[in-house]
Amino acid sequence: MTSTPVIQTRDLTKSYGSAAAVRGLNLSVEPNCITAFLGQNGAGKSTTIKMLLGLVRPSSGEGTVLGMRITDAEENREMRRKVAYVAENKPLYGYMTVEQTIRFVSSFYTDWRADIASKLLNEYKLPPQRKVKSLSKGMRTKLALLLALARRPELLILDEPSEGLDPVGIEHLLQMLVALAADGVTIFFSSHQIAEVERVADHICILDNGRLLVNASLDELRQSYRRIDLVFPVPPPEREFQIVGVERIESKGHEMRVFASKNAEAVVERAHNLNAVSVEVAPVALREIFLETVKEN
Amino acid sequence: MNVFFKLTTTTGQPLYLQLMQQIRHAAETGALQDGDQLPGIRTLAEELVVSPNTVAKAYSELEHDGLLELRQGSGAFVCVKRRTRSLADHVQVARRRLRDLVERLREDGLLDEEIRRAFEAELLYPAETVRKQ
Amino acid sequence: MLWYKVWLETRSRFLTSLATLTIFSAVFVHHAEGLQRPEWTAAYNRLLYITQQYIVVMWILAVILLGMGGIVREKATGASSLTLSLPVSRALLLGVHVGVGALEAIILAVVPWTGIFLVSSHAGMPILISQVEFYVLLLVAGGLVYFAMAILVSCLVEGEYTAPAVAFGLVFLTTIVFDAWLRPLNLWRLVTGDFCLDRHTYLLSGRFPWLGALACCSVAGVMLLVSVRVMKRREF
Repeated sequence: MTSTPVIQTRDLTKSYGSAAAVRGLNLSVEPNCITAFLGQNGAGKSTTIKMLLGLVRPSSGEGTVLGMRITDAEENREMRRKVAYVAENKPLYGYMTVEQTIRFVSSFYTDWRADIASKLLNEYKLPPQRKVKSLSKGMRTKLALLLALARRPELLILDEPSEGLDPVGIEHLLQMLVALAADGVTIFFSSHQIAEVERVADHICILDNGRLLVNASLDELRQSYRRIDLVFPVPPPEREFQIVGVERIESKGHEMRVFASKNAEAVVERAHNLNAVSVEVAPVALREIFLETVKEN
Repeated sequence: MNVFFKLTTTTGQPLYLQLMQQIRHAAETGALQDGDQLPGIRTLAEELVVSPNTVAKAYSELEHDGLLELRQGSGAFVCVKRRTRSLADHVQVARRRLRDLVERLREDGLLDEEIRRAFEAELLYPAETVRKQ
Repeated sequence: MLWYKVWLETRSRFLTSLATLTIFSAVFVHHAEGLQRPEWTAAYNRLLYITQQYIVVMWILAVILLGMGGIVREKATGASSLTLSLPVSRALLLGVHVGVGALEAIILAVVPWTGIFLVSSHAGMPILISQVEFYVLLLVAGGLVYFAMAILVSCLVEGEYTAPAVAFGLVFLTTIVFDAWLRPLNLWRLVTGDFCLDRHTYLLSGRFPWLGALACCSVAGVMLLVSVRVMKRREF
């Protein structure tokens, strides 16, 4: 796609004292895609998202969302009209009822879809007259999601949206995301639930320790990451396999396991040149890609 | 919809390729007939809970291959041409030959799991097969 | 709709304060009715003056409570990211909080006094509307400093209970300090009308201290401007 990225950051950094939460992030999120932002707890996902929305000021670096600078309060406010966001802790006002919450939030947006709101209210079985503070955690999560899903924003940013949902709720959420994506909404969501990500995401960003380690389309990842198990007649020399694309090498006696993010063909070729007796190339599921990437770092 | 699709995330194969293969397979086996209509991108994406881009990519690749005809606003239609039919015959023959081959490999003492991995390796790296010979 | 949110947020605090002040005023009126006729005027005015001091104390407590809340408190309760994701500026969020709070503060000053005035006149007790006006104006003009201070504290101090504790502590401390060393500038004396009270008639006399009121408004204004600046720079 040649269209301009919806989210773009350049060397975005956030430090708290001497500890860096986000380090030199160069993120680029394409429009009309579902992009998943993967990382362990504390990897810097929420801090990044908060910087994008102007809740946290970057220590250095810059970024734009929908072409508007995140460090400019005025532009940032303008951007928030077109962006729907649900924070990690599913924030709501305890002193409002469900109905009051919906009325309050909806008044700020011209892209509010009352039909979807009432449909979701029914599907989620949310009692309109109940005070938010007396709702269960699952219901609060659903209400917080409803406030973002009942719009047609240009960009939807969700921070750990499935946290606090049961499997049925998660499935429903993913369906909603897919439906919004079909309407042309760009979706950027953070998660550490690989299973939900690998079905709906077009694009994957893996963040670890504040650094962006992977930024690629999921199809590309699936096609290029390979695990190659090799058996040699004599204990193999690891350095022969330290080539571009090889992320990790493990050897045990005559066996060797190579984990490659690309260039698996070259690994296979070298293995044959070194008279490997067995060469097995296996695709790698996203879960393993994630774990290997994070371990690597 | 008259066909079930089942996409799995555990294999290393992109979802759009899986979908393409399953549509093609359905057309070859006759589960999808010439002129049958496939669900719209949005509907199928919601049903399979995959990104609409996945469905769109599969559809447009299949259109490129001539197996689907995308009509503006009214969806995707299967167009099974003679080529596809003869392909179906080829597949029949290929399966028979594969069955024979698998039988022979088993006789040679290979376990099913080993055979499966060998097939996968060959399919993933066809160039390698040529070079070895 | 931001006012609606602030109203819902402060509603229970406001109504509780209003009820307390109203009940207190009713008790005063009831007490005044029992006073003996001959010494009526002076005794009544004295009672009015004493009552007024209690009203001021309660009003200040109420106004500080009304100044609490806002986004920093929401940070502690976890709702700030919803508020801040709305397409409104932080200055506006604070502005609406201040606006609704100030309006509630004025109502809290006007209602008990109006009640006292109406009931007193109805019972044929000599209460001067000019006295009531004097008291209310002093309360609002001087009291807004307390309100602005509460807002400033609520922008600086996190924690659901820390902020009100700090605010109350500050009021207490400043009152003592000013009383001891800076008596002429003591806000408490302005708000209660202590400095212009005639000790014989217990009536507020003299002209309304416009200069003092103006100074109070300026101080309150500065504190609110500082609050806006603090708010703009804060991270959530």
